[in-house]
Amino acid sequence: MSLRPHTTIAFAALAAVACGDIASPVRDDLYEWRLIVPAAVGTDTVHFHWEQEDLPVRVWVAGDEVEALPSLMQRAIDTWESVYLYREFQAELVSDSNTAHVIVRGVPAPSKAVRSVRLPSALAPECDGATDLDVSPDLRELTLPIRIFINPRATPDTPGLGDCLALTSIHELGHALGIFEHSPNQTDIMFADPQVDLPSRFDRGTAEALYHLPPTIEAVGR
Amino acid sequence: MPKSFLLPALLLLAGAPGLEAQTDYYARVGAVGASNLLRDVIVSEITVRQAIAPMVAVGGSMTISPGYRAGLEATFLSGGYHGEQDEEETDLGTLRTGSLLLGLEGPLAASLRWRAGAGALMYWPSEEAGIFLQGGATRFLAGAGADYRRPVLARWDLMASLRYDYHRFTTEELDRRDFAQTQAVSRVSLSVGLARSLR
Repeated sequence: MSLRPHTTIAFAALAAVACGDIASPVRDDLYEWRLIVPAAVGTDTVHFHWEQEDLPVRVWVAGDEVEALPSLMQRAIDTWESVYLYREFQAELVSDSNTAHVIVRGVPAPSKAVRSVRLPSALAPECDGATDLDVSPDLRELTLPIRIFINPRATPDTPGLGDCLALTSIHELGHALGIFEHSPNQTDIMFADPQVDLPSRFDRGTAEALYHLPPTIEAVGR
Repeated sequence: MPKSFLLPALLLLAGAPGLEAQTDYYARVGAVGASNLLRDVIVSEITVRQAIAPMVAVGGSMTISPGYRAGLEATFLSGGYHGEQDEEETDLGTLRTGSLLLGLEGPLAASLRWRAGAGALMYWPSEEAGIFLQGGATRFLAGAGADYRRPVLARWDLMASLRYDYHRFTTEELDRRDFAQTQAVSRVSLSVGLARSLR
């Protein structure tokens, strides 16, 4: 007895579906997220992510500077948490700044602090942002807290200000979770001057990948 | 679906009084172990698995021909699930599942009966996050097993059951993220309980 070709193919397809395991997607949509800094010889890279024992990351937001900032930062937390399939990153708003891993202010970033690395971004007319990291000279320790500044440049009723603050909150929290470099793609939320509202496929791929590689720097101080 | 299979099940659900003498009910408690829900690769392999979880099962059956019965069995279990990568585990929360299996049973040996059926399995995560970001999942389920009964009271039997079931797992979120195909998941349960006597 011989089977017709289409019958054979149907049986083969059925067998493949019945026996095959789920196939994970190829994750090659990412960009350089590590901080590249000058070293004694050439450059060095700094790669950070929060360890499981640090989670949830404690985020304190000044509520008296920009009224909407706490809710925008909660939305930013929800946005980044939803990127992850395996709870790699979790954060929560806290009421005590003394125990916070990340402090968020709704004011212009002050002049650069000694030894800190500033990641300026979101240079829109309505608002801008910056994230300050206190990295030790040997590039081994990141002293907490990470400080985020989200600065409304316009009056509260200015059209576009709300959107600018929302995407800047997501962008700066992206730095605080470990994306220390800006994306070269304009369609990514981690582009230096982001034009989109939410993380793109490349942002998601980068954020996922960085939590599955060992960090070169350890968070200390909180 | 054959009428001889469907009709008794519907009557069983309706609790038809005329069939009371032929109807058998039971409840059991036990534990379920399951194979991996998911295999993924981000730098290295990640697996997601449910922990061994407590379960309850209730069911009933009625005679459809001498020695053979048709019935419904519902199970519910609740337990943790976790991800594992490079021998490090991450707690992913609590996962509840419920199943409904329409099946047939027949004699195997003196106190042993076989059982086989098909139905549906529902996943209810405690939190819509991660692989369940878009919510739970409902999957087709096929299962088989054996029941051992020993009389303990006039109208009640001690019942011990071994079950195996199989389904293909995926979620809407995994589909959205371009996971292809589905994951074969096998579950085995051991449970004990009481059944109203067949005698």
